[in-house]
Amino acid sequence: MSPTTTPRTLLSTALGIALLAFMLFPVYWMVNVSLQGGSTAASSTFFPTDITLDGYRTAIQDQTGNLLTSIVVALGAVVVSLAVATPAAYALSRFRLRGMGIFLFALLLAQMIPGIVIANSLYTLFNDLGLLNSYPGLILANATHGIPFAILIMSAFMRSIPPALTEAARVDGASHFRAFWSIIVPVSKNSLITAGLFCFLFAWSDFMFGLTLTTGADIKPVTLGIYDYLQGNVQSWGPVMATAVLSSVPAIVLLVLAQRYIAAGALGGAVK
Amino acid sequence: MTTTLAAGPRGAAAPPSSPPPTRRRARRRELTAQWLFLVPAIAYVLIFFGYPIVKNLVMGFQDYSVRTFVTGEAPWVGLANYAEVVSSGIFRTTVVNTALFTLGSIAGQFVIGLLFALFFKRRFPLNNVLRSLLLLPWLLPMIAGSAVWRWILDQDGGILNETLQGIGLIDDPIRWLTSPDIALVAVILVNVWVGIPFNMTLLYSGLQNIPDELYEAGALDGATGWKAFCYITWPNLRSVVNVVLVLGVIYTLKVLDIILGLTGGGPANATQTLATDSYRRSFQEFSFGTGAAVSNVLIVVSLVFAVVYLRANRRAEEE
Amino acid sequence: MRRTPTAVGAATAAGVALSLSACSGQTGADDGTLVVTDTMSATSAPVYEEIYDACAADLGLDVRANHVAGSGLIATVLQQASSQTLPDVLMLDNPDVQQIASSGALSPLGDYGITGAGLPQGVLDAGTYDGALYGITPVVNSIGLFYDARALAEAGVEPPTTWDELRTAAAELTTEDRYGIAFSATNSFEGTWQFLPFLWSNGAEEDDLASPEAVEALELVDALVEDGSASASVVNWSQNDVNDQFIAGNTAMMVNGPWNMPSLEAAEGLEYASVPLPVPAAGDTLEAPLGGEAFTVPDTGNPEKMAAAGAFVDCVTAGENQLTMATGRGAVPADSAVAAEAARQNPTIATFVDTVQTARARTALLGPDWPQAATQIYTAEQLALTDTESPAEALERVAAQD
Repeated sequence: MSPTTTPRTLLSTALGIALLAFMLFPVYWMVNVSLQGGSTAASSTFFPTDITLDGYRTAIQDQTGNLLTSIVVALGAVVVSLAVATPAAYALSRFRLRGMGIFLFALLLAQMIPGIVIANSLYTLFNDLGLLNSYPGLILANATHGIPFAILIMSAFMRSIPPALTEAARVDGASHFRAFWSIIVPVSKNSLITAGLFCFLFAWSDFMFGLTLTTGADIKPVTLGIYDYLQGNVQSWGPVMATAVLSSVPAIVLLVLAQRYIAAGALGGAVK
Repeated sequence: MTTTLAAGPRGAAAPPSSPPPTRRRARRRELTAQWLFLVPAIAYVLIFFGYPIVKNLVMGFQDYSVRTFVTGEAPWVGLANYAEVVSSGIFRTTVVNTALFTLGSIAGQFVIGLLFALFFKRRFPLNNVLRSLLLLPWLLPMIAGSAVWRWILDQDGGILNETLQGIGLIDDPIRWLTSPDIALVAVILVNVWVGIPFNMTLLYSGLQNIPDELYEAGALDGATGWKAFCYITWPNLRSVVNVVLVLGVIYTLKVLDIILGLTGGGPANATQTLATDSYRRSFQEFSFGTGAAVSNVLIVVSLVFAVVYLRANRRAEEE
Repeated sequence: MRRTPTAVGAATAAGVALSLSACSGQTGADDGTLVVTDTMSATSAPVYEEIYDACAADLGLDVRANHVAGSGLIATVLQQASSQTLPDVLMLDNPDVQQIASSGALSPLGDYGITGAGLPQGVLDAGTYDGALYGITPVVNSIGLFYDARALAEAGVEPPTTWDELRTAAAELTTEDRYGIAFSATNSFEGTWQFLPFLWSNGAEEDDLASPEAVEALELVDALVEDGSASASVVNWSQNDVNDQFIAGNTAMMVNGPWNMPSLEAAEGLEYASVPLPVPAAGDTLEAPLGGEAFTVPDTGNPEKMAAAGAFVDCVTAGENQLTMATGRGAVPADSAVAAEAARQNPTIATFVDTVQTARARTALLGPDWPQAATQIYTAEQLALTDTESPAEALERVAAQD
C-alpha cells in the first residue's frame, strides 16, 4: 500500500520534517561548524558564510584509516553477535532446559555492568591472550554491547513463531540445527536485521574499548580519532566536526538500507 | 524434563517403543543438541561478563590502589570501602541525582519516543526516510555530540538562549550548565535527546505488530483515537514496553560519557551520579576499591529495579 | 541427565581458567628496540619523533613511539603495570610522577647518571619521590595573563600587576558584548590548576585550605564573577574553551598557558600579549603551578634495556632538544640557561620563562596525596562560584571532608 499524497498526508510530512529539523539541530550545527574555517566554535556563525572544505580535507587525510577500522570492527561485532545470539535466542524461545531462567537473568545482569568495569577486566585477559591492539580483540569486546540485547529481542520475536513450522520438519527427521537454519533463520530475517543493526550501532559508537584495549596508532576506531583531536588543544573545530559527520555516514547508509526490515516488525508476529 | 522431541499431535512418525537404553541415549543426544545452541552464548557471557563482575565484586572489598597494579597486593578491607562510600558527603547527592536523572530521562525518552512512533505509524510521503534520519542523534559519537551541546547550551553565546531570548520567552539567559539547580535538567534533556531514537525504533516495531484488523474491529465498536490507544494499542504493546523500560533504566543508570562530556559531574556535584562518581574515584583519585564499591551499588540498584519491575509486571499480567 | 550440561560447563570453566593463566609476555621487543610511550598530540608528535630518532641513532638502537591520548594515559599505565608490559620509556604528566613512583613501577634516574642539574627547583620537586629523582621534564609551562593589546589600549587600561588592579581592569574592560576576563574553573583538575597561582601567591597551602589566605584567594576569583567581569560559564569552560572565547573576542583578558600560542598566532586580526599573573600586593612573588610532561624509566626488570632507556632519556632531555621541543609546542625549556636563550629568540614567551623560574610543583608538598587536595580545591571553587556557598564556607566544607 503506497502512501497517497493528499493534503492531509502532506501536512503530516510537513510536521515530520519540522520534528526532524528540531531533533537534528545539533547535527546541523555539527555540519555547520565542519564547513567553516574559523578556528573557534565561539566564532561560528549560524549559517556557513565562508564554506571551506579544509576541515574535510584534514579529516579525510587523518581519519580514513580509523573509519575503516571502525567499519571492520563494527561489522565483525555484528557477525560474532548474531552467530552467538541467534542460536541462543532460538533455544530460549523454544526449548525448555533447566537453568534457562538463570541464563536470562544473567543476560539482564550482564547489561547492568558499567562499560568501564568490563573494559578494565578485559585488558588483563586480552593481554594474556595477545589480543590487545588486534581486530579480533576489539570485535570480541564490542560484541558485549550487542549480544545480550540481541538475544533478548530475537528470542522475543522467535517466541511468536508457531511451533508448527518446525515440528513438521522435525517429524521428517530434520535435526534441531537443520530446523533452525532452514526455517527459523529465514523467518526471523527482520528480527535478525534489526538486532544486527543495533549491534552495529552499539559497536560503531563504542569509545571505551577503543580507549582501553588499544595502545598505539595501529588500530584506532574513529571515536578515538576524534578524541585525539580534542586532546591536542583543539586549534580548529572544523576537522573535529568533519570527522564526526564523516563517521555518521556509514551508519546512515546502513540505516536507510535496513529501515525497511525494522519497519516490518522485529519483535514478534508478522509471520504471514 | 520436557523436550521438543515429540512430533506433532498426530505423531505420524512416532518411533515404536524402544528399549530403555536407546531412548535414554536418544534423549541425551537431544539434550546435547539443544544445549549446543546455548553453549557459545554461555561461554561468552561467562568470560566477558562473569569475570568482570566477579572481579569488581572482589575489588569492592580490597584496598586497590596504584600500588596494587604494580605489586599485585590488594589488602582485604572488608566493608571499609562501602562504609567510606556511604558515609561520604556526596553519597546522598549522587544517589538522588542518579534517581532524578534516570526518572527524568526515561520519562522523557519513553513518552516522546512513543509519540514519535505513533506519529510515524501514519502513512505519508517520506515517512520511511524521516524515520531513519531520526536515528541520527544516536549515531553521533558522543564526544562530538557533547561538544556541540555545550556550545548550544552556553549561557552567553549559545544558540538556545539566544533563540529563547529572541522570541521573548525569557529575559535573562538561562544558566544551563553552570547553575547547580539547572545543570541536572540540562543533562537530562540531552540524554532524552540521545535516547529518543532507541525508544522510538523499538516502540514503532511493536506498533507494527498490532494487526490492523484489531483497529478495524475496534472502530466498528466505536473505539477510535484515545479509546483505541487505551484498549487496543497499549495492551498489545505491553511486552515491548516492558523491554523498552527495563532496558532503558539499565542503560541510563550506566550513562557516563554524556555527563562527563557536558559537565564533568559539576557544577559543584550537581550532576554527579553513581556512575560518574565511580569513574572519578577510580581514575582521578586512583582509589579503585571505593570506585568498585560504588559501581557495585549501581549494579545492585539496577538489579533490584529489574526484579521488582518484572515481578510486578508478571503479577499484573496474571490478573 | 544433568551430565551433559555439567560437562559442558566444566569444559568452559577450564577453558576460561586456562586462558586467564596463560602467560605470553610479548610487547616490548627483545631486539634492541626501545618502546617509548608519550602523550604527544598529532601536531607535536613529529617534533618529538625526530628527536627520538636522532638519539636512538646516536645510541645504536631502534625506537618505536606510541602516542596515547593524555587523559587515557593513566589507565593505560596502570594496566600495563599490572601485566608487566610497561614501555621502556614512559612519559607522565608531572603531577602523576610521584604517584606512580610510590607504587614501585619506576626506576630512579640517578642510576643512569641523570641528576637534573641546571633545572629549577620546581621541576626537580615534581620528579622527586622519597629523595630520588624519577622523572625529568625537558619542557615546562605555566599560566599567565594574556590580553588583547588593542582592547586595553582603547580602554586606556594598563596590564594589571596586583589583585586590586586585576579586579579594576577586568571591570573597566567589561562591555556590552565582551567580558573583561576569562579563566577555567571547571569541575576537574584543570580548574584546580588555574586557581593555584592565586592560592599559593597569597601564602596559602594546599594542606590547610580553610586558612584566611586561601579564603582571600577564593574571594578574589569569586569577586571577578560577581562583578560581572567574568562569565558565570567559567565553571564549565576548559582552558581550551577559554582560548576559544579569547580568540573570538568575547573576553579582553584570559588566564591561560603558552601552548595556545600557535592558535593565537594563527588568529587573524588578534594582537595579543602576555604578562605574568597579578600578585596580591606589589612586590609579592608569583607562585604559579608547574606544567609539563616528564620522561621516566619504568622498572621492566631488564637491566640492559633500562640502562639503554636511561641513556636515551638523558639524550632526549638535553638542552638542544629542549629548545626544539619548546619552539615546536609553545613551551619553555626546563633548563634555566636554555630558557633564557629561548626567551631571547622568541620574546613572546618571555612571560612564561620568568613565571617558570619560580613555579611550584603540584606534588611538592603532598606527593601521592595530591589528587585528594586537588579535588577539594576545585570543589570549593565550584561551590563558591555557583553561589552555593560563600568562599569561606566552601573552603571550610571541603577542608572538613578530609
